[in-house]
Amino acid sequence: MIETPVYQVQTDFFEGPLDLLLHLIRKNKLNINDIRLAVITSEYLSYLENKQGINPSRESDFLTTAATLIYIKSRSVLPKPESLAEESPEKQLLYTLIEYEKIQKISKMLQDMEYTERLLWRRLELNENFANREYTLKEVSAFQLAEIFFAIVRKKENEQFLYVSSKSYSIAAKQAEIAGLIKENGFIDFSAYMKKLDSIEEILVSFFTLLEMIKRHLLIALQESLFGTISLYANEAGELSN
Amino acid sequence: MTSEQAALIEAILFVSKDPLEPGRIMEFLQISDETEFEKILQTLEKEHFLDRPERGLQLKRSGGGFQLVTKPELHDSLKDFFTVKQATKLTLASLETLSIVAYRQPATLAEISDMRGVNATGPVKNLLQKKLIRISGRKKVPGLPALYATTQEFLVYFGLNDLSQLPSLEELTELFEEKEQPSLFK
Repeated sequence: MIETPVYQVQTDFFEGPLDLLLHLIRKNKLNINDIRLAVITSEYLSYLENKQGINPSRESDFLTTAATLIYIKSRSVLPKPESLAEESPEKQLLYTLIEYEKIQKISKMLQDMEYTERLLWRRLELNENFANREYTLKEVSAFQLAEIFFAIVRKKENEQFLYVSSKSYSIAAKQAEIAGLIKENGFIDFSAYMKKLDSIEEILVSFFTLLEMIKRHLLIALQESLFGTISLYANEAGELSN
Repeated sequence: MTSEQAALIEAILFVSKDPLEPGRIMEFLQISDETEFEKILQTLEKEHFLDRPERGLQLKRSGGGFQLVTKPELHDSLKDFFTVKQATKLTLASLETLSIVAYRQPATLAEISDMRGVNATGPVKNLLQKKLIRISGRKKVPGLPALYATTQEFLVYFGLNDLSQLPSLEELTELFEEKEQPSLFK
């Protein structure tokens, strides 16, 4: 019988270097407290080598641990001074590993609890799962507005403008425009509105107008959820048409 | 317990979305003795729900209160009826992050990442969105990093009444060691 080479699918995916180290320790049936981390080093390195195309920014944690392992290994082959400090890298890494193993156990426990709880339905869940749910609106800070604003400006900066606009904008005119839009639509989606504007100049003027209007309690900025979109509404307490 | 009391408690629980604090019902029913109230609850739990296979609900204690939930054996049928896709479960990365926050709270992002050996920004953001953790304050060290702690939703999500119901680290280690170590006398 001819043996056909089995195509091996790489299924191992480790969340971080500690995960991989623990896997190797378990694979070699070692007790975490007695292992010489130096022994595991070559296996660890071969995992990294076999991984096709290392992405340094994503896998830097793996590389750091690899460096620590190599350091530990080099120390193990060198003669040691008698009174070795408590803070040897080996001890430190072992300690982190033991702590990490606990975390994995807790995660497993939480996962079991999650499974049992998933079987129970609460009234809350239907609201969560159906489309017509009401959001609890949270007022956003000027800081959050500014964050989105700078993201949009950065995007606009990269765009190429074909002509130089000679139009100039005024805060008063903008305020009238925004008030009109809100009267018409009920609210303004902050990101969508900013994206539609033509130039950085217009974006700047619009942004300051919005800030001014919020400051004068003409508008209120609300966010549906954390990291969600920000909408601007007329503030009932203020007078929009002035 | 009078049947009026039982009916009233059931009705209140039916209307409530979040776990109800026992104190509020006790006050409303003018019961001051906690053991007496506990007895009422247990009777209600057993005779009204658990011993009645024709009923689809049960009394569940979590998040420092109690609420009505469906019986676990109905899960599959409910899923079919409401055509709900497989409910999203927490990823392993999120579970690990949550474990650290639960046992080390309040903890900073750096502390969490350090313990996992891998950056935890993604999972932390995810857990904040799911409201399983919250920012409980700032650590008084350079940079004033945010401190994360678990929420009441966390307790409800995992069916815990309060944080003390989580096994201690020592208990946990014993628990797992017993499981992992095969008997010496085979």
